[in-house]
Amino acid sequence: MKDLIYLDHAATSPLLPCVKAEMQRIMELDLGNAAALHGAGQTAKEIVETARANVARLLNCNVSEIIFTSGGTEANNTVMEIFRGQKVLISSVEHPSVREAAKARACEVVEIIVDQKGRMELRDLEKKLDETIGLVSVMLANNELGTIEPVVEVVKCCKKHNIPVHCDATQAFGKIKIDVNELGVDYLTISAHKIGGPTGVGALFVRQGAEFNPLMCGGHQENKRRAGTSNVLAIAGFGTAAKWCWDNWSCRKWAEVAKLRDILRERILHEVPYSSCNSPEEICLPNILNMSFQAAEGESIQLYLDLKGIIVGTGSACAAGDIKPSHTLMATTGDAEVAHSSIRFSLGLDTTKEDIERVMAVLPGIVRRLQGISTVKVKEQI
Amino acid sequence: MSGADKGCNKTNPQPGWVYSDIVKEHFLSPRNFLMGDESQFAADAEGIVGNPICGDQMKIFIKVKDDKIIDIKWKTYGCASAIASTSALSELVKGKTLAEALEVGPEEITKYLGGLPKHKFHCSVLGHEALAAAINNYRERK
Repeated sequence: MKDLIYLDHAATSPLLPCVKAEMQRIMELDLGNAAALHGAGQTAKEIVETARANVARLLNCNVSEIIFTSGGTEANNTVMEIFRGQKVLISSVEHPSVREAAKARACEVVEIIVDQKGRMELRDLEKKLDETIGLVSVMLANNELGTIEPVVEVVKCCKKHNIPVHCDATQAFGKIKIDVNELGVDYLTISAHKIGGPTGVGALFVRQGAEFNPLMCGGHQENKRRAGTSNVLAIAGFGTAAKWCWDNWSCRKWAEVAKLRDILRERILHEVPYSSCNSPEEICLPNILNMSFQAAEGESIQLYLDLKGIIVGTGSACAAGDIKPSHTLMATTGDAEVAHSSIRFSLGLDTTKEDIERVMAVLPGIVRRLQGISTVKVKEQI
Repeated sequence: MSGADKGCNKTNPQPGWVYSDIVKEHFLSPRNFLMGDESQFAADAEGIVGNPICGDQMKIFIKVKDDKIIDIKWKTYGCASAIASTSALSELVKGKTLAEALEVGPEEITKYLGGLPKHKFHCSVLGHEALAAAINNYRERK
C-alpha cells in the first residue's frame, strides 16, 4: 500500500520517472551556455531545441512560436506586459497570475462574469467587447473547479472585433487535447510541473505575427523574446514530460481517471453529511473535484486528511495565509462559507480505486467531527 | 555564524507539519470541546466571537462558582490553529477566577501552544475575546 495518497496534482505533479532519468543524464553531460558557439554550448542548444520541438508538437504549433519561461506566472506576466496601458478583459475566475499581472499593467481590467460552475458567460463578454479592448484573457480550464471554458467561442467573438486572445492553459495542459489552431488563440500559457515535468519552467505560445515585446530584457535568448541564460536542465525535463504525454496519449489515460473522480464525487455526496459539489459534472477536467462541507472549515479538513496520509487542496483563506477565501468560489457561489469549507481533490494518473476507498474510510468521520464541534449550524439541503 | 548559515542548518522537529507539536496535539485531541447539541452543557454564561464568513468563529461556555470558572466548554468553526487555540485556552483558564482568566491574553495562549505562525496569531486573539465575551455575559446575567 502506498504511504501517501496524493490528490493535489492540480497544485503540482510528481516528476515522471522518465523525466527524472533524463534530467539525471543531462546533469552528467559537459554542457556550456546554450547561447555559445562552442561545442559544449551547441550540445546544450540541441537539448533546448529538442525540448522545444516536443512542446510545440503537443500544442500543434511551430517551434518558433514557443518561448521558454520560468513558468506559467512569467508567461502570463509576459502577455500582460505586451498590453501595458491597454484595457484588458478577463474572466472573473482567472488565476492570480493573470488577474494581478493584468491589474499591475492594464489601464483598466474588466471582469466577465461566470455561471455557478465557473463557465464564462458569453453574453456578458459580447456586451463588454468593443474597440477599446486591447486583449481578452480566458483560461482553458479553471484550476480550482476544473471547469473547461468556452475558449473557441470566446475567440470567435473576439475575432469579430479583431481583439487578440490569451489563454492560460496551465491547468488543462496534458489533461485534455490542446491544439492552438483549433482554439484559435494568439497567446497560450503552459507549465511543466503540471504534467510531471520540473518546477521553474514553462512556456508561452505566441502566434506568428502576434504583437510582442519582451518582459525580460538584456539578452538574445529565445529569439530575443526572453533574455536570460537558458535553464537547460529544466527545459530538458519539460521536453521529456511533453514527449511522454505525446507518446502515451496522456489525454486518453486521464479520461480513465475521470471515472474514479466520478466515483469519489458520488460517494462523498452520499456518505458525507451536508456535502455539495462545486465542480461541474460535465465539461470539466478529468481529475478535479471541488467539494464543500457545511460547517466544517477547509484547512482543518485538509490537515486531518494530511495526518491520515491524504494530500488535498483547499479554497479556505486560512490555509492560504490570506484574508479572503478563494475568489473563484466567491465568483461562482457568492458564499464565503462555501469557499472556506471547500476541498479540492485532484487525482493523478496513478490514483487507484483503493485510494478512493482510503479517502472514504476517513473523510466522513473527519467532517462529522468538525461539524459536531462547529459553531455553525448546518442548513438542510434542498 | 551568519543568519543565512543558521537558515541552512535549520531543522524542523517535525518535517512536513506547519504548526508546533503542541498545536498538533491540541488539534488532534482537543480538550473540553462541546460536541453536538449545546443544551447538554448547562452553562452559566456564553460568549461568541468571529464570523464564519471570515473563516473563524468561537463560542465559549462557562460554569462559574464563587467567581471561579469551574467548568468550560467550547465550539469552534475554523482552522487547526483556531481549534488548538480554543482548546489551549480552555485548559489555561479552568479553575481560575474570572479576573485571572481575563489576564490570559493572546500571547499566553500562543506561548502555551509553542508558537503560532504570524498570520495565525489572530486565532489566539479570538480565543481571548470569546472568553472575555463569556465573562461579560456572566457579569451581565448576575
